[in-house]
Order: sequence, then C-alpha cells, then structure tokens
Amino acid sequence: MMSGGAGPAPYLTIIATGRNDDFGGDFNGRFFRALHFNHQQLVAAGITHEFVFVEWRPIDKRPLLASLLADEFADVSSLSLRSFVVDPAYHEALSLNPRLQFQEFIAKNVGIRRARGAFVLTTNTDIYFSRGVIARLKETALEPGVLYRAARHDLMSALDVSDIGWDVLEDERNCEIVNAIRPPLFTNASGDFLLIDHQTSQQIRGFNEVYRVAKIHIDGNFCMKAYVSDIPIVDIGAPIYHVGRGTLHAMRGMYNARPGDAPWGDIRWKSDVVYDNGDGWGLGFAPEREIDRGTTFLAFDWEAVGPMVDLRRVVSAGLQQEKAL
Amino acid sequence: MKRPPRILGLVPASGYDALEEQRAKAESRAGKLAQQLEEYRANSRVWKTKAEDALGELRKAQEATAAAQKQFRQIEKQRDEHSRNAQKLKEELDKVRRLQQERAAELADLKQRLAESERDLVIAREQLMAIEVKLDILEGAANVLDGRTRELLTRRSGLGTESGTAV
Amino acid sequence: MEPQSDAGTAAQEPAISIVLTGRNDDHGVDFRTRFFRTLRFNAEQLTAYGIPHEFVFVEWAPPAQRPQLIDLVFDAVPGLDRGLCTWYVVDSRYHQALSLNPRLEYHEFIAKNVGVRRARGRFVLTSNCDVFLGRAVLDALAPGRLESRVVYRAQRYDLKETVGERRLEEAVGQRRLDETVGQQRVAWTDLEDPENLARPPRALKAPFLAGATGDFLLLDRESFHQVRGFNEIYRAARFGIDRNFLVKAISSGLSIVDIGGPVYHVDHAGSYHLAADAYAGRQHEAPWGNRDWHSRGVSYVNPPTWGLQHAPAQRVAPGHWFLDFSWDAVPPMVDLRGVVIPASRVGRPSPGRYAPPRSE
Repeated sequence: MMSGGAGPAPYLTIIATGRNDDFGGDFNGRFFRALHFNHQQLVAAGITHEFVFVEWRPIDKRPLLASLLADEFADVSSLSLRSFVVDPAYHEALSLNPRLQFQEFIAKNVGIRRARGAFVLTTNTDIYFSRGVIARLKETALEPGVLYRAARHDLMSALDVSDIGWDVLEDERNCEIVNAIRPPLFTNASGDFLLIDHQTSQQIRGFNEVYRVAKIHIDGNFCMKAYVSDIPIVDIGAPIYHVGRGTLHAMRGMYNARPGDAPWGDIRWKSDVVYDNGDGWGLGFAPEREIDRGTTFLAFDWEAVGPMVDLRRVVSAGLQQEKAL
Repeated sequence: MKRPPRILGLVPASGYDALEEQRAKAESRAGKLAQQLEEYRANSRVWKTKAEDALGELRKAQEATAAAQKQFRQIEKQRDEHSRNAQKLKEELDKVRRLQQERAAELADLKQRLAESERDLVIAREQLMAIEVKLDILEGAANVLDGRTRELLTRRSGLGTESGTAV
Repeated sequence: MEPQSDAGTAAQEPAISIVLTGRNDDHGVDFRTRFFRTLRFNAEQLTAYGIPHEFVFVEWAPPAQRPQLIDLVFDAVPGLDRGLCTWYVVDSRYHQALSLNPRLEYHEFIAKNVGVRRARGRFVLTSNCDVFLGRAVLDALAPGRLESRVVYRAQRYDLKETVGERRLEEAVGQRRLDETVGQQRVAWTDLEDPENLARPPRALKAPFLAGATGDFLLLDRESFHQVRGFNEIYRAARFGIDRNFLVKAISSGLSIVDIGGPVYHVDHAGSYHLAADAYAGRQHEAPWGNRDWHSRGVSYVNPPTWGLQHAPAQRVAPGHWFLDFSWDAVPPMVDLRGVVIPASRVGRPSPGRYAPPRSE
C-alpha cells in the first residue's frame, strides 16, 4: 500500500466514508471486499487512482477503521491510500439534529477538498464498479464540467459474495432491483456515484453543509446544485452494483409514521433548495497531523466550524430550478 | 315482219332498222329490268323478311336490354348494400383489431407483471429460505443453551443441597 | 492451509487424499467389519493402479469405553501402509460444543472438514467407510487426469447386504468372528455382478448430480479450501449437508461432473436408506436431523477457522494426532451471517432451488 500524497496526481480520486461500527452487519468485511475488487479492476485497466477514506466520528475504544484498512491493504503495493480521521467533536459541533449519528456528506466533503485526482468520484464503501464504468474511466476521456451518474443495481441481500466476480455481478438472477436514473437530475441512489472533475468539485464546494438537519437526500440535493449551476448531468452509461437494498430501505418503513425521528433526518425536507457552502467547507480550516501510515487526523478547532445557522447560504436558483422540478 | 315497202314511203330503211334495234334493245332492257325488278322484289321480300327478323331481333334485344338494365339496377342496388355491409364489416374488423391490439398490449403487460411477480416470488422464496434456516439455527442454539443451563442449574442445586445451603 | 503429517515431503505429496470418518460404535451394527474390508479393498486397488494416495481418517468423538479404530486398523488390515495414513482423533467435547441438535449422534461433515483441511493431496476425495471405489473411478484417479475447479461425482450402486460376506457368525460363532474381522474379502465379481444389485441405481442428473452425494465428492484441495469445506453454519442436521455442498460449489463457480463410473455400497442395517421410514411422522427425532431444511436453496460461508483450525494438535504417534478440546477452535454457536443466498453466475445453472417440504 502506498501512502498517497506524493508523486504525480492520479486520474481518479475515489472517496468513501465510514467508521468501525459494524453498520449494516460486517461493514468492514463488505468494505474491504469491494475495495479489493475495485482496485484490482482499476489496476488491470491501467487507471491511475487514489483512494481517500474519511473516518467520521470514530467509536471510542475501537480500533480505527483507517488503521484496519491500512493493515488489510498493507501488502497491496499498488494501492495509493489516504485516510482522514475526523475528531469526534466535529460531529457534535456541527449537529443540528441529535438523531443523526453520522454526517456522511460532510465527511465526503473532507475528502473532496483534499482530493488530488483530475476527477473525483464520491461513492460508498460497498459499491462495485461495473465493466462499463471501468471502460469509461480507462478511456480517460471524461469531460470537465460534467457530473456523471450511474444507475445502481441492487443485488439480493444475503447473497454469497465470498467469491465475487463479473459473472456474479452481471447475472440478472442475482439482481433484486435497478435504481433507474432519469433526466434532468438523475437522482436515485445518487450518493453511490457522483463523478466530476476536480476543478468543478472545488467550485461547487461539495455537498450541502448549510442544511445539517438531515442527511437523506443531500446527494440528490447535490444534483440540483449542479443542475442550477449549468453543469450537465449525464448517465455514464453503465451501472454500479450494491449487495442488498441498503439500510435506509430496510428501515424506512419503521419511520413512516414518525419521519422526524429517523436516524437520517426527516425525509420530507425540501431537498430541492440550493446552497452555497462557506469558505471553510470540508473542514478546510481544521488542523491536521499524521497519526499513522497514510492517515491524517483532523483535530478539533472551532475555527473550522462554520456558523451554526447561516441562512443567507440558502439561495434561490430561480428558473433553472423550476425547470428541473 | 317484212319491211313495209319503201314504196309506201313511210320510214327509211335505215331508220327502221335503227328503230327496230332500239326496240329490241328496249325490249331486252325491259326484260332485264323486269327481271331485275323481279329480283329486287325477291330481294326486297328477303330484305323485308330480314328486316322483320331484324326488327324482331331488335325488339328482343331491346327487351333483353331492358331486362339487363333492370338486372343491372338490381345488382347496383345489391352492390351498394354489399358496400355498406363491407364498410360495416371493415369497421367491425378495425374495432376487433383495435381490441386485439389492446389485448395484446394488456397481455404483454400481464406477462411483464407475471415475470416480475415470478421474479419477486423467487427472491422472496430465497430470502424466506435463508430466514427459515437462520431460525432453525437459532432454535437449535436456544435449545442447546437451555439444556446447558438446566444442567448447570441442576448441578448447582445439587451442590447446594450437599453443602446444606438453602436453594 | 496447514496439513499435518509425519509422512513425506513436498516431493512425495500424494495425488489423492481420501478423507474418511467414523468411530468404533457399531454404527449400522457391524461398522468395523464393513470399514476394514472396504479399506483393505480400496487400499489394494489404489496401490495396484499406481495412484499415489493417502488416507486421512478422522475419528470423531470416539466412545471412551471402546478401543479406537486407530488401535485396531493396522491389525485388521495388515497390508495397509502406515506411511499412507494420517489419523486424527477428535476430542469428544467438540461434539457437544458444536451441536445445535442433541439428537445428532455424529457430526459427519465437520469431521470430514477436519480431514479436508489437513489433507495434503492435490485432490481430496471425501467418501465413507463402506464405499468401494469402482474401476472407472480408479482409472480416473490416475495422476494428470483430473482437473481443478471440478467437483467429481460418482453414481452409487447399492448392493445386497450379503455381498462378499461369508456367514462367519453362523459358521464359527462370535469369538472367531471377532478374530476374523477385516479378513473378509470382496472381489470385483461381487461388486460388478448385476445380480447383486439391491435396487436399480439412481441416475445422476445434471446440473447437481446429487444422490448419495456424501459417498463421493472429489475436488482439488485448493478449491476445497476456497469454499471452506462443508457447511459448518447449519448444525441442526447432517442430512442434506452433502447436497448443500453442491449448491455451494455451483455458487462458487465450480463445475460438477460425473467421474464416469460407479462406487459400490453394501446395504446394512442402520443405513439411512433402510432406516428413513422408521422416523416417518417424527422427523424431529431422527438422528440425522430435519430432512426438510433448505439444503437445496441456501448456501453458506464458513468462518476462516473452519475444520477446527485452532484445535491444539498433539502427536500421539507417527501419523496419529489427537485434536484436543479448546473453545478457541469452536466456531460461534450462531453465525447468521454465514447463511447466504447462493450466487448465480452468468452462463451457469441456478445454484439454489426451492423444494417444498416432502409429505410425511
């Protein structure tokens, strides 16, 4: 495993976030399997890439997932891995909803802000890239100023993935549902695949950090942000794969009668509004120090925490937004 | 007839011959004409017969024409009726075809939904099988633990009795 | 992979490991007799066919009050080469520790996993103690003929109970019978005579080629390790575990192929086939567990410590090991993540099927 940060910038930065909390059952196992698979495919296709992992709100008295990740891939010399561990105090400081246990998208912003790749892909730890996605990346012909999306195919929960390969991913018998994406916004499981060039990702300033009352639909909100910023949104033309329909789907029914109590926030929030993140987005002003191989710790500092409420950053995009809706 | 003597001095001999010739010619011509007349009369009778025949034929033809016209009108009338019927049938056929297309679309939709339902059934069965197997394991584990716990409790209560401790 | 054996170096690695399991408990009434004569026959034939092999025998939870098979076998089968045998005796406490059904008398497939995990052969055949290898099977076992990532199956021919037996107990009485145990011989004529068939053989049907599956499963060692042996997650039954292995095999991308000839089994009292009806209407009491569990529909992922990896091994004698009890070697009582839906693979048959419960 290479500790990234040195050497020429890769073509692609892949950003994911998590922590050692066994979320969804065997979180680490699923994460490592998917990363091994994707990394092997990217290497085989000759796509230079780095993997940026952001550990948000690590659990006290448990090994850091970033450390376990480094151990798992210690012998994989071809993997350029950088991890960022965020001081748990940031979660409390940024929280506008005590029910939210994990600020997935602020964590991803930490990664986006520090990405080195020409193109930045935010995804999740249990997503497998398809052959078509690998082929598109291999062409190195992605256009700047375009947001690429991919439809997520959900394979059956509890599927045996101990020996996963294309023949398993591509077999329709294993697919439970296809999360279709449609213009103009191409939302629907968008958090699993948002690919954009580095410069544009910095201009947009990542995901919405202004609205922190929910994390659900923050990904779709990003698509709206891109749309009203005149960034074309395009289906990359190939799927990604996920095992199971996801924890949200599994638990959603429990909160139908009380959406405000959900651990992802109230699903009914107006996720079509547009935002402008402040200069400190992605904990840009957080002091950093290296704590392990390729692992940087973002220490807590109030200077890195923006205003609790900043209503002027909720903006109206006018006509563009109306067209999309 | 002997030529009257010229002495009488009535007609010169050359004139008389000429007249005689003319008379003969006229008689011959008259005979021919009479013959011709007779022929014409005969022809005329023939033609008259023919004309009568033709007239008869004409009358017949006229009657036939009238009959044909009548039939024609009848056929036209039938044709119009058939056209109307054909039109009705065409409309019926169009309606049936539309219904068929609708049924085909419905059938395709039902087939699609059936395929999806079958797919859902397969998925549900697979999930159910996995759940039932997990339940088997849990049941087995619960019973084993129950057995171990009882054994433990029995041993403890046995020890308590031996030592005189209240159980 | 940590096979243990005193025998041989890498250069002497056997082509085939034959993994068997049993104990001196009179399973099926006269287990020892049947085992020894079968072992004699198979050992002789494997040698005659020039097949480099080893026997890996797992003596699971042997009864304390009886001699162990390891202590009897070399006298009973004098021609058996000790150098070709590795014997594992497994501490009895493992049986209780692993059980999810007190009625199960024997964890046949966990025992086989112990052997598979430690086998040294390039190919590993799991079979049973009273299964005779047929000629076509022996031909196929010749080095170089087998392929990796293929599960080989063989049809089982069931023979009448009296095949190959002299009625010693009638002629000489019990004492002489004990002395002559293991000396009963079976010949090819006994096995191959159609008159000796107890019933018409059941055909093996693609894609699973199931049917007396546990009597013949041959796979390369690497693939056996990749799938981590037989199902150790579901321990409430031993019936169907062999069939379930075929589901796992297809789900893992392995092929299943008929090796091209039969194996032979002599009927005996206590065999499942003859005893199945005895538990009609009360399957929950059967010593093999519930026949109707979804062995055809679900799959499994064993933990990496399958086959009692961490059982402390004590060397008793050359080729003789005792696997002592340690809770470290016992997998979790319940490991529901190990119950998985078998994965379909493009171009291959569906690995799992739903089978409704058979009527009692």
